[in-house]
Amino acid sequence: MPGNIRSVSFVVLVCLLFCSRLTSVGATPICTNAHAGCHVLSLSNLFDRVIQHSARMHGISNDLHSEFEQYFLPSRNQIGRVSRNCHTSTILTPNGKENAQKMAREELTEVILKLLVAWRDPLWHFHHSMAHYDDFNNFSSNKALEMSDMVHELRKGVEKVAEKMQVLGITSNTVNSLTSPEALLPSESAEWRLMKDYDLLYCFRRDSNKVQNYLKILKCRIVPEHGC
Amino acid sequence: MMKKAVELVLLLLLLFFTPHIMGKRYSPPGKPTLTRCRSPEKETFTCWWEPGSDGGLPTTHALYYRKESSERVYECPDYHTAGENSCFFNKNDTSIWVNYNITVVATNTLGSAFSDPVDVDVVYIVKPNPPEKQTVTIMEDKGWPFLRVSWEPPQKADTRSGWITLIYELRVKLEEENEWEMHLAGHQKTFNIFSLRSGGKYLVEVRCKPDHGFWSEWSSTSYIKVPDYFHREKSVWILLTIFSAFIFLILTWLLHMNSRSLKNCILPPVPGPKIKGFDNQLLKNGKSDEIFSALMVSNFPPTTSSNYEDLLVEYLEVYVPVEQELMQEESKDLHGGCLKCERSTSDSDSGRGSCDSHTLLMDKCGETKEEGRHTDRASSRMLTEAQRHQKGWEKDTLTYAHGDMVSPDMSNGRVKTWPSVFSPLPQYSSNPLDKQSSLEMAKQHCLSTSSCLTQPGHSTKEALGPSNWDFCLGNKQPHLLHPQTQVGRQLQAHSEVNISNIGRKQAPAGLQSPALRSTEYVEVQRVNEEDLVLLQPVVSGCGRIEGYPQMPKGKDYSKVKGVDSDNMLLLQREVMEEDWCPGVDQEINGGTGNCYTSSTVNTTQKPTACIHTAMPVQGDMALAMNGYVDTATMCTLPTC
Repeated sequence: MPGNIRSVSFVVLVCLLFCSRLTSVGATPICTNAHAGCHVLSLSNLFDRVIQHSARMHGISNDLHSEFEQYFLPSRNQIGRVSRNCHTSTILTPNGKENAQKMAREELTEVILKLLVAWRDPLWHFHHSMAHYDDFNNFSSNKALEMSDMVHELRKGVEKVAEKMQVLGITSNTVNSLTSPEALLPSESAEWRLMKDYDLLYCFRRDSNKVQNYLKILKCRIVPEHGC
Repeated sequence: MMKKAVELVLLLLLLFFTPHIMGKRYSPPGKPTLTRCRSPEKETFTCWWEPGSDGGLPTTHALYYRKESSERVYECPDYHTAGENSCFFNKNDTSIWVNYNITVVATNTLGSAFSDPVDVDVVYIVKPNPPEKQTVTIMEDKGWPFLRVSWEPPQKADTRSGWITLIYELRVKLEEENEWEMHLAGHQKTFNIFSLRSGGKYLVEVRCKPDHGFWSEWSSTSYIKVPDYFHREKSVWILLTIFSAFIFLILTWLLHMNSRSLKNCILPPVPGPKIKGFDNQLLKNGKSDEIFSALMVSNFPPTTSSNYEDLLVEYLEVYVPVEQELMQEESKDLHGGCLKCERSTSDSDSGRGSCDSHTLLMDKCGETKEEGRHTDRASSRMLTEAQRHQKGWEKDTLTYAHGDMVSPDMSNGRVKTWPSVFSPLPQYSSNPLDKQSSLEMAKQHCLSTSSCLTQPGHSTKEALGPSNWDFCLGNKQPHLLHPQTQVGRQLQAHSEVNISNIGRKQAPAGLQSPALRSTEYVEVQRVNEEDLVLLQPVVSGCGRIEGYPQMPKGKDYSKVKGVDSDNMLLLQREVMEEDWCPGVDQEINGGTGNCYTSSTVNTTQKPTACIHTAMPVQGDMALAMNGYVDTATMCTLPTC
């Protein structure tokens, strides 16, 4: 018996080590130092990945929003919806093509990151609140979870892109987005808690679209080879 | 004052009732509805509305909108650019990711009506223009053509900066078809279409859609005609079809030609019963008695004797009596008896009754007859036995012959066998006449079959004695050559032997040595009215020495001249020497001493020695006999 316990504990330790390793890695490791044997991704490739990611995120949010609308809001044109206000409205985002094109790359990247950061917590909470809805099926609940994960992953991806851009000299080092994104958060961080779920979804759908669009603009501005 | 008041009242009344008089009613305008709002490039957008009833009065419409998170109400900046009942928002007025709350108001003098407000976010109402600069070209891939379609995004949509991302879809169809074939092209701006119909005319159209928006309208149709490249393939198919059709025809013809043999091969015909005397009709009629009675062979299986000889062909024992009366009597009996005998022991199917059998007659006749025939019988038996065995021929002949005994032999290759004269006899007939005629027939048959074969031996005719029967004998065993030619140079007709035997039997005391019994020579005496050939043994000199194989000096009627039309056996007398016994053929020829034929009819008086004539046998020889009689024409032999 003691022998068995020892072996089991040994196995458990090994597993933990591996698992921690795996979780820390996440996506494919990008070799910043271009070590030998390391697969170096090009900026174009990075951008493509990120854009795909954001597109998927937006798709999920769109689906969730339409489901919500179907189940919970039969009447669309309600008076009073005009007062809806997203918590990210404080973030200055370009509302047109010219505005977006006028914005510098660094600024644009920053905006993206701000948006992504701003949505991390609300979505996490939203996912938890999904459990309270009996009408929602498990599929929607999974979508919410996936959505919150995606925001997290996308933010990391965009950070990598910004890093790459900095390395390549495309962007200047003035941007401090890498240091502490949390510092960019608006002071009234609890505003989102007052929002209803449906409004949350509506706001997030729009913001994910913004992110996707801004990323495309960035890509076509920086690496316009493919798909622009 | 009163006047003014009245005027006023009248005016008011007029005003009041004019509409009633006119028959029309005015009302405030009906509620207008916003039908749709569209943005072609995500930078501007247009909204259209549908006005309600105007209430009979001129109505004006106005569009008011409010932006999100603002209470300020704006009115539509442009009512005309997009047409009637529309509002166009230009770039300055358009904000993306901003919720517009739009309302249309219809106003007339009597009132106004508000439409339902509509929330619009420009991002989700994008419907681009159709793709432009569409081109379709034909390109070739290893000899097979394909269509390459290429296009450009709509000009207004800014895809270069990444502001809009479009996906494309195209559709293709043949000119004569009704249904389109859809292809999703994704983000690419070119597309290849394969599997084209040769010589077909194709129509191609393209459309596009942003990530989240509406499909554009289909672009203008492009027409393209595919060149005829299937000629090669079609011609191959045509050739193949023709070839296969040709092969098929040939096979059919072959099958038709060989249908019978194939049918025989696949479904061989079931052989029907071929039993002598078996009548299918009787069987069909169902009368079993008649059927089986016909099949029954009397005296079969042979009960009297189980001798080997009994199973063989019976030979006609022609008895040559010394006296005419005796002959006459006996011949009748003999013929009848012998015929009976033959009949009893021979059958049509035996095949034994061929001329090559040495002895023609069975001994049965002898058995049934008087004792006097015993010797003959024995001799004939011996003969028959000998005749049976070709190999034992020599021995037998030795046994018979003294030396110059006539033994059945084939002289010099001339087959002198008595054909199966008696086998063709109708064994089942009981008509005596038939028997006799059958004998004639048989003889004729014998003659016919052996005629040809007598030719080779013809040269040796001289060696033969005139006493020989010069029958054209059966040809069936030409190799039956008797080694002792010197002894028996006579024609060894079985009939000879038998005839002589018969004659001997009837002769009271003429028959002596057993050796002599083997062969005897007969002379044709005459044929009586009853168509009986009366034979007389040949005598040498003037005596009736039967059985002696002498060089015949007397008349020799051993030659068969032929068979005439009346189925007569025509015998010819052969005169070798001058001396002849006057008494011999007195009855026959009446003293002429010429070679003459025996029958009552034609006489060919040719004194030539060896005339071997053959006459064609009539075709009607085959009477009611089974088909053993040879109806073949006899050969005309050359005269020597």
